[in-house]
Amino acid sequence: MSQPTGTERSDDETRGPLSNWVDSAIKNPKKVYRAMFYVVVIFFLFTTLFPLYWLTMIALSNSNRVSEGVGLLPAGFDPSSFVEIFQQIPLHLYLFNSFVFATLTTIFVLIVASLAGYAFGRLEFRGKRTLLLTVLIISFFPPAAFFIPLFQLFTQQIAFLGLTPPELYSTPGGVVVPLSAIFMPLAIFILTTFYSQIPDGLEDAARIEGTTRLGALFRVIIPLSAPGVATAGILTFIAVYNEFFFSFLMTGTAAQDWAPIVDGIISYQSQFQVRYDLMAAASIVAVVPVAILVVVAQEKIVSGLTSGALKE
Amino acid sequence: MATITLQDIRKKYGSDVAIEGINLDIRDGEFVTLVGPSGCGKSTTIEMIAGLTKPTSGTVSIGERDVTALPPKDRGIAMVFQNIALFPHKNVYDNISFGLQLRNFDKAEMDRRVEDAANTVQLSGMLDRMPSEMSGGQRQRVAIARAIVREPDVFLMDEPLANLDAELRVHMRTQLQRIHNKLDTTIVYVTHDQAQAMTMSDRIAVLNDGELQQIDPPLVCYHEPANRFVAGFIGSPAMNFISGEITTDGFRSDSGHGDVEFDPAAIGVQAGQDVTLGVRPEHVIPVDEAVGDVTDTIETYTDVIEPMGDEIFVYLVTSKGETVDMEDPSASGQILMNVGPGTDVAENQELSVVFDKTNLHLFDAETEEALAHGLSEPVRVDTSVDTSADSEVSSDDD
Repeated sequence: MSQPTGTERSDDETRGPLSNWVDSAIKNPKKVYRAMFYVVVIFFLFTTLFPLYWLTMIALSNSNRVSEGVGLLPAGFDPSSFVEIFQQIPLHLYLFNSFVFATLTTIFVLIVASLAGYAFGRLEFRGKRTLLLTVLIISFFPPAAFFIPLFQLFTQQIAFLGLTPPELYSTPGGVVVPLSAIFMPLAIFILTTFYSQIPDGLEDAARIEGTTRLGALFRVIIPLSAPGVATAGILTFIAVYNEFFFSFLMTGTAAQDWAPIVDGIISYQSQFQVRYDLMAAASIVAVVPVAILVVVAQEKIVSGLTSGALKE
Repeated sequence: MATITLQDIRKKYGSDVAIEGINLDIRDGEFVTLVGPSGCGKSTTIEMIAGLTKPTSGTVSIGERDVTALPPKDRGIAMVFQNIALFPHKNVYDNISFGLQLRNFDKAEMDRRVEDAANTVQLSGMLDRMPSEMSGGQRQRVAIARAIVREPDVFLMDEPLANLDAELRVHMRTQLQRIHNKLDTTIVYVTHDQAQAMTMSDRIAVLNDGELQQIDPPLVCYHEPANRFVAGFIGSPAMNFISGEITTDGFRSDSGHGDVEFDPAAIGVQAGQDVTLGVRPEHVIPVDEAVGDVTDTIETYTDVIEPMGDEIFVYLVTSKGETVDMEDPSASGQILMNVGPGTDVAENQELSVVFDKTNLHLFDAETEEALAHGLSEPVRVDTSVDTSADSEVSSDDD
């Protein structure tokens, strides 16, 4: 705060520092925006990062002292829980299962949503709006509403159009199929927006040069929409990796039955004790590598494919 | 190399008719320019030849093949676009060789062809660059290289020079002509710029409102326009039009200025017919400079004078202080005159002018079809008219 000086501004001396700050903020509104920016950012960082911090503290605590309560610092110091999580159960297999679900779903969603996004974003056809709205409406349904019929279908309890489907329960298909459908609308909307922005001339040029429409999509439109494809892909990947409901219920509880991470974490809870420190350690192990992977992948994908920079 | 034949091509967008039954025969190795104002259907026409747009009815043939139902990649064509349309994520080499890569050419052959094409457009040594690192003219040359590298039967160019600055446009214009001379490929070129059409083409196809107005060599379109639209569109600055009617001893304008005496029977028009007289600015001559039998002088006042260096545009009005209707300047008595740089003219002066009768055009007021070209000695020769007409003009100009 600058001190009021000079005889003309002597009335400032009778006011407090807050009044002075408000006074200068009115003259210079940018100051307020900057202050608000920091308040919001700090609040956001605190609410998102503090749970992760506290989780780490629990993981580092001595297993016997966790029940006493963990504050800002670990209760005792015992990093061995990061090793123990792999000794008690095959956590790496659970991680692998979740990873497979997320990867397969992402690939499937990107392919199908690319085709849909091309049609919605670049073609004119009758009923386009209606169809797009239908996709949107479907995404409003709570996923749980699909669960019971799908469970019956995947466990071969009912027939579909007179056909009994293969038993998808406890296979990646049982998770990938419903989750692809659930996360598809978002990807379609993202890709529609991006694909519609590629100039028609580029697609025309590719077709003249010798591609089909589909070829132009994969050779020109998708590479040029890399940021959009990366966004849709990463959102889908994270959503499926974090998904609880279908991945938990459509699979068994053992790693061999394609159980996801959640099953692994829950199995640290036995009849007589709950190992919070192991659960916390397993959560961190599950989250951090994927977070790093996603950040790196995003940088790579986006910078690698847009190095030419679209300039029309 | 191939011929292109459009047979009764129509294109409708919903209920809007974009193309109204066009028939076009383009010969092998010919450079044909489709020219017309915005929205006349020239781009739609070239897109239908390319296969990017499907005609509502009619057939497109390239060579002897009916390609109406074929996708663009199977038509043996290459195209250069107005917005250049290089693939921004590929470098120059990959842009040029994109079509060859799709056709699985082997590496050595591809290198040789890309090198050749790059040399033709003077781009050698830039094959590693990205399009974003190049200037507009260089990018346009990459686009042309991408088109010639596949050695297509037909080249389609949709306003390829429209996005370049004026200097570069003139330069690329000569480049394109050299490429055409070298490759001898059939070229269909679209532009709204009649200067490009005049300078480059073997024949010009003038389109308006989705209909073909005239297809002829540039100078025939210039000297013998088929109708009033072609007359007004080809030539810069545009032709003056004066409406009036035919009397027994010639043309009488509605405004009373610009009457011309001639024998109507000699050129096959009838007295009483409503017509429009067309005269190009360079065929309006100050009386002082005219030689020979000067009749039908028109008393005018100079209005605005635009010295262009090599020529002077003089806007003449038939009465002082008259307001000029911007929509149709000729109707309110404005005549544009184009004289040599040495001519002594000043603003707001009286000036008597005459029309060079050998280069007047008469159009039917209603159908706008041309009735006659050249009123004193109506010559109706085909292509050879250019030279004879030109020499007569110069003798009058002296």
